[in-house]
Amino acid sequence: MRGFLKVALLSTACAVSSYSASAQTLKLGVLATLSGAGTAWGMAMQGAAELAAEDVNSKGGLEVGGKKYKVEIVAYDDHYKAADALTAFNRMVFDDSIKFVVGPLGSAPALALLPVSTENKVITMTMAFTPKALSAEYKYSFRPVIPSDVFSDPQIKWVVQKLGARKIGGLFPNDESGQQVGAANEAAYEAVGAKFVAKEFFERERVDFVPLLTRVLAKGIDAFELNGNAPQTAGLLVKQLRELGFKGPIIRTGGDATADILKVAGKDATENVYVHQPINTDSPAIQEYTKRFETKYKTPLNAFSPFFYANVQMAFAAMQKSGTVTDSDKVREALLGLKDFETVLGKVNWIGEAQWKSNQQLDAPFYVALLKGGAAQVVAKCTPKVCE
Amino acid sequence: MDYSILLAQAVLNGLVIGAMYMLMAVGFTLVFGIMRVVNFAHGEFYMLGAFTGFFTYVYWEIPFVVCLLIAALTIGILGMLVERTLIQPFRSDEMSGMIATLAISVIIQNGAVLLWGPQPRAMPDIVTGTLAIGPFSFPWSRLVVIAAAALIFTAFWLFMQRTRLGRAMRAVAQDTETALIQGIRVNYIYPLAFGMSVALAALAGALMGPVFSVSPFVGLTPMLKAFVVVILGGLGSVPGAVVGGLLLGMIESFTATIFGSLVSDILQLLLVILILLVRPAGLLGQREA
Repeated sequence: MRGFLKVALLSTACAVSSYSASAQTLKLGVLATLSGAGTAWGMAMQGAAELAAEDVNSKGGLEVGGKKYKVEIVAYDDHYKAADALTAFNRMVFDDSIKFVVGPLGSAPALALLPVSTENKVITMTMAFTPKALSAEYKYSFRPVIPSDVFSDPQIKWVVQKLGARKIGGLFPNDESGQQVGAANEAAYEAVGAKFVAKEFFERERVDFVPLLTRVLAKGIDAFELNGNAPQTAGLLVKQLRELGFKGPIIRTGGDATADILKVAGKDATENVYVHQPINTDSPAIQEYTKRFETKYKTPLNAFSPFFYANVQMAFAAMQKSGTVTDSDKVREALLGLKDFETVLGKVNWIGEAQWKSNQQLDAPFYVALLKGGAAQVVAKCTPKVCE
Repeated sequence: MDYSILLAQAVLNGLVIGAMYMLMAVGFTLVFGIMRVVNFAHGEFYMLGAFTGFFTYVYWEIPFVVCLLIAALTIGILGMLVERTLIQPFRSDEMSGMIATLAISVIIQNGAVLLWGPQPRAMPDIVTGTLAIGPFSFPWSRLVVIAAAALIFTAFWLFMQRTRLGRAMRAVAQDTETALIQGIRVNYIYPLAFGMSVALAALAGALMGPVFSVSPFVGLTPMLKAFVVVILGGLGSVPGAVVGGLLLGMIESFTATIFGSLVSDILQLLLVILILLVRPAGLLGQREA
């Protein structure tokens, strides 16, 4: 009987070890907002990670150092709050032993967990726009999306030169974020020879902008800037500006808000509106990704998603190049070494040395689009230096 | 921009927001005058009216006038039910009644967030284009709000002055006990007055939906403004609510156009304090004996 037990135990142990040898798992974390406001962005990040994982899993797994790894996504909701993000991140790092994370999403969560990710050498792919999200000190923090302080200068320069606008007006929310955007925008316009002649602030709950817009239009502006306003507010501003008879160009330098502007203001009011567009929707690669994403998730694609998809693909390539899925130092070095990496966004590189003393910012082309007949048409392709 | 155009624009905008404040404040003051209840949930009925207008107009694609009628009827009936079940038990206790309306407000707002989500929804314009008179151009969407508000108020005023029910309501507002002695059934008047009050708020919400947008939080600002208006015009006074509403709309529009949003908010409230110092009962209110 004892002999039988020994044989049984031995064979069970062998079975377990041979199973784990054949089914290695690579856990990829997703730390994003998956409920409430900001869910669209969180969905974009989670979807990107899942689609990239699906790509490698459909080929039997990611081959690294002669072993195949099945990629498993572990997603946690940060509720767009720093405290919740930190709790979830600690769980990822200490309970799930995750070394690669898509996220965090917001600036406050990013700043809260940067010390933990740095100390534990966890590579993060953040959407945080704050300039503090990247630095030589936080060497594992990468950012695949292009923040406004990278794209606003070349875009504003192009718009001012193309439109010949000299007198600019704008309304901004009366909080820290609105004040900062207002000041940055004013400086960017003045740097290229235009003047911000009317800058007004309002409480975020305001929906009737007509008195303030009347005041702004009285200054005889050539163009109106929408940056710093939430997508819905941007739509209301366009609608009310046109109601007041303003026919001049309206410019959206900030994040993607095209869908809301069109929805709120309608087709006619959105003629002569120039918007920042992170992706080229005419590109076949983007169209294919959009179709795949929308078929799987039954929701419109958020333009940030392809950036995370590209970043995860780069992380996988770096793991293969460095031959490890556990040594994040080696993976980081390999990731930084990727040049002209082909993605759905086109060829991408890492930049940021001049601004953040470290190349952890993805460099991908971005676009200026003109709204025409209720659709966005790309009119310029941009790099951090110039729009053409 | 020409100074006269600036002035005309400020007048038009003042009339639009003044009309909304008027409709909100008339209903608010009606309930206080008759029931002595400060309805903190008044803004939520405005929001429900806006959503009713939105869903009926966008999904059913029926004429906007019918949408307004549906909003007034459904929200009015809902208001009557709310009064009957949740406010009537506290009729003899004003403080508890106010706390009950506060609770109703939180329940309705959070319920709306759960049902429809927090994000604002854009409602298409009921009319497009502008009315051009010389150098002035006025958007039809805003002119319609002013005309509709004037019509709604006229209908309400005629109801209060010319019908038996309206007279009964005014009698209850003046003296409940005497009204009871005269055979007026106060238990029917209270829910009816509450229903009419919130139906007016719902109409204001449905009218403003296309001009601004619709979300579970749209009732907050009109509610706060209705408070200011009834204090300005005199608590319980319907003419006071009309004068106060239009006055506040004009002050808001002119100060925001001339001085900007932040100074406008300060000036509005300073003016209210000033009026209360000079006339503590409000512009058309009467001192309580």
